[in-house]
Formats: sequence, C-alpha cells, structure tokens
Amino acid sequence: MKIFDIALRDLVRSFRSASALIFMFGVPLLVTGMFYFMFGNLARDGGFNLPRTKVIVANLDAGGPKFQTSTKGIPGSANARTLGELVVSILQSDDLAELITVTRAPTAEAARAAVDSQTSQVAIIIPADFSKKFADPDAQATIEFYQDPTLTLGPGIIRSILNRFMDGMAGVKIVVKVFVDAASPQDYILVNQIVRRYLDTSLAEKEDVASALIISRTPTAAPKEDNPLLRIVAPIMGGMMVFYAFFTGASTAQSILKEEEERTLPRLFTTPTPQSTILGGKFLAVFLTVLVQVITLIIAARLIFQIEWGALDLVAPVAVGIVFIASSFGIFVNSLMKDTKQSGVLFGGVLTITGMLGMISIFALNSPGAARLSETVSLLVPQGWAIRGLLQMMNGNNALDVLLTVLAMFVWSVAFFVIGVWRFNQRYA
Amino acid sequence: MSANNIAISVTDLHKSFGELKAVQGVSFQVQRGEIFSLLGPNGAGKTTTISILSTLLRPDQGDAQVMGHSIRRDPMQVKSVLGVVPQEIALYEDLTARENLDFWGKMYGLRGAALRQRVQEVLEIIGLADRANGRVGKFSGGMKRRVNIGVALLHKPQVIYMDEPTVGIDPQSRRNILDSVVALKNQGMTVLYTTHYMEEAQELSDHIAIMDRGKLIAGGTNAELVQLVGEQTRIDLTLTVEASRVLPIWRAVEGVAHVSAEDGRVTVLVADSNLVLPRLFESATRLAARITSVDIREPNLEAVFLHLTGRALRD
Repeated sequence: MKIFDIALRDLVRSFRSASALIFMFGVPLLVTGMFYFMFGNLARDGGFNLPRTKVIVANLDAGGPKFQTSTKGIPGSANARTLGELVVSILQSDDLAELITVTRAPTAEAARAAVDSQTSQVAIIIPADFSKKFADPDAQATIEFYQDPTLTLGPGIIRSILNRFMDGMAGVKIVVKVFVDAASPQDYILVNQIVRRYLDTSLAEKEDVASALIISRTPTAAPKEDNPLLRIVAPIMGGMMVFYAFFTGASTAQSILKEEEERTLPRLFTTPTPQSTILGGKFLAVFLTVLVQVITLIIAARLIFQIEWGALDLVAPVAVGIVFIASSFGIFVNSLMKDTKQSGVLFGGVLTITGMLGMISIFALNSPGAARLSETVSLLVPQGWAIRGLLQMMNGNNALDVLLTVLAMFVWSVAFFVIGVWRFNQRYA
Repeated sequence: MSANNIAISVTDLHKSFGELKAVQGVSFQVQRGEIFSLLGPNGAGKTTTISILSTLLRPDQGDAQVMGHSIRRDPMQVKSVLGVVPQEIALYEDLTARENLDFWGKMYGLRGAALRQRVQEVLEIIGLADRANGRVGKFSGGMKRRVNIGVALLHKPQVIYMDEPTVGIDPQSRRNILDSVVALKNQGMTVLYTTHYMEEAQELSDHIAIMDRGKLIAGGTNAELVQLVGEQTRIDLTLTVEASRVLPIWRAVEGVAHVSAEDGRVTVLVADSNLVLPRLFESATRLAARITSVDIREPNLEAVFLHLTGRALRD
C-alpha cells in the first residue's frame, strides 16, 4: 500500500508542476502543430492544393499533310485535326484539369498581353506553320512558350508536358525520315503504320500524360492514410511523443536524486518503510507518469490531428513498450548521476543526442537512399526502437513484426531497469 | 537507573568517513520521559550520532538500544517507535501542510479516519490548523520548522529526535518550538535534542552530554556540569594592549582559576568576581593597559565547555 502512496504523491507533484506539464504535453503537441500548419497547404482530402496555372493558347496552326494515324491513346485527341489542335487537346484534357486552366487567344499578341497583364501565367503560341513544318523532314517545328518570369512550379509542369509532346513528335519525324531514306518508294505506304506504332508506344504508352510526368511515390514508412499532410505529421507526432516520453521518464526518475537533496528521502528512510518499498514507489511513479503522458498524447493527437495510430490491439502493446523503455531508461540514466547538478548533462546531452539519433529514421522517411542506414543508426539507441514500433504500427505492418519490436523494447527495458535498481540499491544501502 | 526506565542506551559508537573520525566511542543513556541534550559546536558529531540512532547510518562499531530495540538487529522496530526531526527542513514544498502530514502519516502506517484525525490534531499542536491547505513552499521558515516537527509527531512516537530544530529561525518561532519540546516531555515522550545553543540545552534539558570532535567530553544535569568549573564566574574583558601581555600577570592574580585569550578578548574564570575584578584592573594599570569593556557571566555551560576544551562553544 505504501508503494502506491509514494507513487501517488510523486504523480501529484509531477502534475502540479506547470513546467512539467508543458514539457509532457504542450511541447510535443505544439511542435507537431507547427509542422501541421507548416504543411497546411496540403489538401485535407488527400492531394496537393497546387494553384492551377492559367494558360492561354494562341493556336494559329493552319494544318499540313495528314498522317492517317490513330491518336486514340493520346488524351483529348479525338477532335484534333492539326498538330496544334492536338497540343491544345492535351492541355485541355481531364487529366490536367487539376493543374491548369486553358483559355484561348485569337492572336499571339493577345496571348502575350495576357501574360504581361498577369491575367494568365503562361502563353503558348502555336505558329501557323506548326503542322506544315512538322511534316517537312528538313524543317524544325517550334512552339513559343511565354511565361510570367516570377513563377516556376506551374510553368515548369506545363513546359514538361510540352517537352514530352515535342520529343515524341520529333521522334516520329526521325523515324519517318530514317524509313524514307532507307526504304524503296513502294514501301512508303508503310509510313502510316510506323507513325501509328511509334505514337502508340511513346506518347500514348501511359494511361495519361500527367501520370507519366509526375511520379507519385509513397514513403516506405508512411502510414496508409492517403492524406499527405498526415503522412508528414503522424511520424513527427510519434517522434515527439517518444522524444518527450524519454524526457519525462528521466525527469521523473530524477525526483529520487532531488528528494535526496531535499532531505525527504533520508527522512523516508527513518520511517518504518522498507527501502525496497520506497524505491519501488518512486519507480512506479515514473512508469505511471510516462503512461499518463503517452496515453494522453495518443488520444490528443488522434483528436487534434486525426492521426491514425493503427489497430488498437497493437497500439496498446506499443504504448506500453514505449512507457517501459522510456521509464527504465530514465531510472538507468539517473542511477549513473551523482546529483541533480548533472541534469544539464542528462537533458542537454544524453537525452537530446539519443533522442535525435532515435528520430533520424523519421527525418529520412522521404529519402529512400538514406532510410536503411538511418534506421540502423536509430536502432542503436532505445528511442529508435520505440519509434520503429510506432512506425510499424502506423504503417499497418503485420502484428508479428510489431510485437517483435515491442519484445525488443522490453529487453532494453529489463536491462536498464535491473542496472538502475541495482545502482540505486547500492547507493542507499 | 533501572533498565526498564531507559529509553535510549548507546554503547561505544564509532563512525568514520574516510580519514575523518566523526564519532569516537560515544556512550550515554537517556531515561524515559526526559529531555536529553547533545550539546556541542558544529562538527562535534551530534548529527552523525543522531543519524546512527535513526538507523540512517550504520555504526562502524558499537550498538544502541532504542526502547529495547537494537539499531543493528531491529532497525524497523526502532523506526516504528521513533520520530525524527531532521536538522534541514525535509518536506514537500509543492504539497500543502495537510498533504504533507497526510503522506508522512501513511508512511508511519496510519490510515483512514485515524490518520485524518491525527493530522488535524497535529495541525493544532503546531498551530497551523488555519494554514493547513497552504503550500509549504509559501510558508515562512518558522512555519516550515513547525510542520517539520509535526511530521515526527504523527504516530505518537515514544522517542523523538530533534536535530538542531531552531537553526535559522526568528525568536518567536524559536520560542514556540522550545515550548513544544517541553510539551512533548509533559506528554511522556522522550526527547533527544541536539543543539549548539548553550541556552537551549540549559533551559530544556534534564540531562546534557557535551560533545566535541566526535567524543563525549562530559555529561550530567546542568547543575552537575556547572560544578565541573567549580561554580566559577566568567569575566570577558577587552584591553587596549595585546592580550598576551596581561595573560601571565593575570594567571598569577589571587582568585583567578583560568585565563585564556581569543580574538583580542581575554576570558577569566574566577570564584568571586567582586574580589578579583579590582585586582585585574590594578594589574592592568601597572602595565599601562586600559580595560575598555567588562562582561560578567554567572557559571553556565559555555564556561564548562571553555573549561573542558579551552575553546568557546560557538567556534
């Protein structure tokens, strides 16, 4: 019973301290909130909210010799009668509707004027001889690209789309030229088939042009949640929780040294209470304090940031694993300290360095090349295992993987706890 | 002294910290229901002795019995009959006075209604019932001292150790504490009291043991100890010349028992100050020395300590 009295007393003291509360709950949520707002331009519904680029097209193309080819694989190409119309059709396709808004201008000057007056951001001017020059093996078909110089991202995407189109069409020209040069006149009839096949395998090889240009990759350790904002915020929240859980473990365990200095610990030893009960109560307080912190942060993060932690039957063991490893690490580290004057070394050095090392796997989530190395490095410190467990849980890894990580956390915890308890018992023997 | 009447029996205690011999062969007995003071300057070994008797420190040699329980063999039994008031304030400053008492009461095994009732009683004993819900950290030094004492009273101990409980507090709080010590004795408790204030030991104690440099150098009642200096009066004088010039002369003056000098002040122990003082003036005049101040004190523990060690008690 006395063990709970001591633990309860420590809990009351911890939760009465405004600074402790700020570090336990406020700072982790605040830091995560900062990232949440920093990346707030990410759509809550799962996509980037890039502003649409306003494109004005002056299609002056008068047409040229027709290729009897199918352009059915090219988006929006159904009604294209000239190459200029084909370019416009691609820009107006549904696949690009999220990225650009296309209007038409009657003349090149009107298109440029629209950019100059900032009513449009990009002007595309397709000259009158565009199709004709394309059909001429010795001529160079060009499109004028006129953009607002202050913008980069939107015009860059459109330029990429056009480049891809122009590259494809240039390829067609080269293929036809090579064929015509090498084939006998009776084989010229095959030109249409060659062009069709080339277009089928180049321009139309993807389902849509936009997807060929924008490669979407899901980080290996990101949650299944489609919302990219949460893909960023969730690991950060997990990292913050682990980082500050270790801080709480250490600072609560430091109350043993603090009580020694405040002389309440020696006084406790003058009461008819066994030393094992006194130290046990102190250790229990550390576990309970971190437990309250972790549970509160998990719930708060779910409510505030809509973070999906994963299946409940895995959240519980991972949370308990974090509580055990953070608490026992705090007890262990404090058992090595002479007095609270060394807390600067503990908090500024040990906890910060090991915490950052543990979180390195989060920082490297979107750098696939560094992910493996960073995960290996992070597993050198206990925080790394806690974060590994969290990420596995959020990624929906299979239960065995998660439980193995939890098991590893318990092994760390037992080692830290045994050493810490032994050292404290020696100290007060 | 019958064995049944002995609350604390200390036999040949020794304790060293490295090269420092903090306690060297200390032995004494405290009767039940009395106030027993350990008097000595800072560093005399009083707190180390109390710590050993509280079972906080294990003696290198020797043993002590508290209410018949050995500090070596039955430390838990010793703790259960003991209340300790440490020299430093040992309270949780972020808890209220009531919360502190409630927690410490539980540590002494009190629970439920009995605990609540006893906490209230103690709050009234220490005169803080109206401040029970105030945080200890906001209390004055004297109020903290009173709570510090209250904690030791919660389980109605048979023996209470008070280690310099009046250090650093205002005169009013000091008076309250001294009165409460007497009240505890009147309730039948045995009080082991350490102090370096001679006046406190003199006022409170039934028996006094004087410690110096880890050793017990004298013991007895106040009257018995004063007898050691032969009921001598102490005269402190300051002079216009070096004290060393008058010392050999004054030692030869008839009626002078002891002469010593410290910090330019000469202390003379005499049987009758009325007789000796004119002789001291006369000899000073012959040396062309002027006496600029005279302080006459009746025999007390200060004189005893001086007599036994050659040093003032407050050194």
